[in-house]
Amino acid sequence: MDESIVFSITLSLRVAIVSTLLILVVGIPTAYFLARRDFRGREILDVVLTLPLVLPPTVTGYYLIVIFGRNGLLGHYLYDWIGLSITFTWYAAVLASFVVALPLMIKTARAAIESVDKNLINASYTLGHSEWHTATQVVLPLARRGIVAGTILSFARALGEFGATLMIAGNLPGKTDTMPIAIYNLASDGDWSRVHLMVLLLTLMSGVFLYAANRYSRRLL
Amino acid sequence: MDLETWELPSYGVTVIIQPSVMTACIALPTPSKSRSLPRQIYLGLIVLAAVLFAPFAAYSSADNEITVAAAISLKKSFIELAKIYETNYATHVNFNFGASGDLALQIIGGAPVDVFASAAQQDMDLIERKGLLRAGSRSNFASNRIVLIAPQGAKTGLSSFGGLSANTIKLLAIGNPKSVPAGRYAMQVLDYYQLYTVVADKLIYAGNVRQVLDYVARGEVDAGLVYASDVATLNAPIDVLATAPAASHAPVIYPIAIINGTQQQRAAARFVSLVLSTEAKQILAKYGFAARD
Amino acid sequence: MGLQVQLVKKVNGFTLDVEWAIENQSAVLFGFSGAGKTMTLQLLAGLITPDVGRIVLDGACYFDHVKGINLPPQQRAFGYVFQDLALFPHMRVLKNILYGTTDLSKQANLEKARAMIHTFKLDGLESRYPHEISGGQKQRVALARALMRQPHALLLDEPFSALDRPLRHEMRNYLLTIKDLFKIPIILVTHDIDEASSIADTLIIYDHGRIVQTGSPQQLRSQPVNTVVSRLLSVY
Repeated sequence: MDESIVFSITLSLRVAIVSTLLILVVGIPTAYFLARRDFRGREILDVVLTLPLVLPPTVTGYYLIVIFGRNGLLGHYLYDWIGLSITFTWYAAVLASFVVALPLMIKTARAAIESVDKNLINASYTLGHSEWHTATQVVLPLARRGIVAGTILSFARALGEFGATLMIAGNLPGKTDTMPIAIYNLASDGDWSRVHLMVLLLTLMSGVFLYAANRYSRRLL
Repeated sequence: MDLETWELPSYGVTVIIQPSVMTACIALPTPSKSRSLPRQIYLGLIVLAAVLFAPFAAYSSADNEITVAAAISLKKSFIELAKIYETNYATHVNFNFGASGDLALQIIGGAPVDVFASAAQQDMDLIERKGLLRAGSRSNFASNRIVLIAPQGAKTGLSSFGGLSANTIKLLAIGNPKSVPAGRYAMQVLDYYQLYTVVADKLIYAGNVRQVLDYVARGEVDAGLVYASDVATLNAPIDVLATAPAASHAPVIYPIAIINGTQQQRAAARFVSLVLSTEAKQILAKYGFAARD
Repeated sequence: MGLQVQLVKKVNGFTLDVEWAIENQSAVLFGFSGAGKTMTLQLLAGLITPDVGRIVLDGACYFDHVKGINLPPQQRAFGYVFQDLALFPHMRVLKNILYGTTDLSKQANLEKARAMIHTFKLDGLESRYPHEISGGQKQRVALARALMRQPHALLLDEPFSALDRPLRHEMRNYLLTIKDLFKIPIILVTHDIDEASSIADTLIIYDHGRIVQTGSPQQLRSQPVNTVVSRLLSVY
């Protein structure tokens, strides 16, 4: 297999793994607060976080440029203060995968957390345990099925992310061409044999991953 | 031990009075305590994320490189040009290939691009109106033609645009004129030959040119209209039957320009002049692009 | 010392308005369903906030709307046994019981838990999950867990309703033991008059969110204040 294909596979895996980790760190607390706390703007926050699920990825990508680009709403602070521009870097690919896959985690984890028996939570409180302790010892362990499912879905989505990535991370061969983007490039070259190879690899990777995750989570639950 | 005589060691018989019980009717602050196993997990995740970030950080921009945003249709020819450029000037070229409209949005959003080569004037116009082009750096470097294609060895007897009205031609694929520039030019060509009303029922609109090629290569349709450059070096079972005359559609002209704010003025200017050179003209011609008219 | 309670709470057209006090004895909240008994327990434990009222346990004020005091459930020294027991399905018996304390000394906690396991005859079940033990055993785990933090009062919400008669009898004996051993107020919600009479030092009769009569089972049986009370005491 040639170097560029190996590069794309490595990049895709890295992007998917890092964005999935970020999704775990951000998604689980967010899902918890959406499920357990009643605060002003809760449903609006939910809608905003869910939008990338329904918007065309290119549109999501465009929003990311508007927000995080060098001239973006937040991006220009980054650039002015520390000279960092994430556009056209693999960080941008992580950001795109993160934003697009995050709602899958939040949706499934929120539903799982909401379905945890309220009495168990109350019991933990009456036994003297703080909300943090209750969340980590009772709520999240009981919602783990949903969290595992959310993680699997997020990872698979991140692995296949194309539209938003293309917008903010660009299509820089050897820099930001993840597998889906490499497939797009090969197709535009009419290099069908490589397209078929890559498509097969991506399908295989996703399939093997989903299978392994299913096996593992069944053992876990 | 019998239940009745049993005593919990730490209880005794007396009730152990907690501090909170002593002071009546005063709310006490919560004693904070929590086990931190999940916190460790979170920390681990963050560390792992940081580790994964580290090795790629080395890829961030170096001094002797430029970034060229180019229409995806230019990919093969520009990669060949970049090889010459890199040998001549020892400067690495990063490409960002995509639809011209997307590339324009990226540049407006502050993407670090040094040179922009567009497949459509309107996208370059947009950038220019935003004041993002280096004054005087815009020039046209290539043009394109619309060609009529059919599945290899098809027995429909099609050989010219006029033949599209024949009954043997059931389906004709073009890009969706609403979103695909090639589709708009294709419509102009059909109008030029006064074929539009005849073929209206045969038209299949595709989301992009790639899809048109795919339909034709797989024999899903009897014919298609695409750019000459799309089929020039294509290794697919497609026959090119005819090229539309220059008069049949508005000129398809590719502009190139230097983006304002580039840190690589000299290197960018060198790339643009390479693209405008005679050497480049031959390479572009090889990939189906005509000279700028 | 004991427990002094005054509560007013309006929810969806239902009004709870009760006031009662008990010493270190057992009180049974008795009444038809929907009378506000379970709600009283939830208000005491701090799971719901009263509109108006005052809760004082052993001299410690947990809630006082005048002074603006409202301690969270964690800081109220109640042991609460839920109607469905609320055992944590993902924890083994020992872990469920250990979860009843927030003390940091692992060794002391383990000793205490072992003593509880012994008291409640749960020996050998330590590493079972709740779904792997019988109803009566679950009951005892819930009691043991609630007692681990040395509560100053025990709240029991129909904890024996799911058990058959012989088991209920056994559990009743456990309660009497707890009462002797821990010398804390026990507040029990039940529908079963036999259970109520055999456990209660005081019966508190609830009807539509109010208290209609308070007294020992004998007193109430001999002098029911109205037909609701007499019906309640005889129906079952």
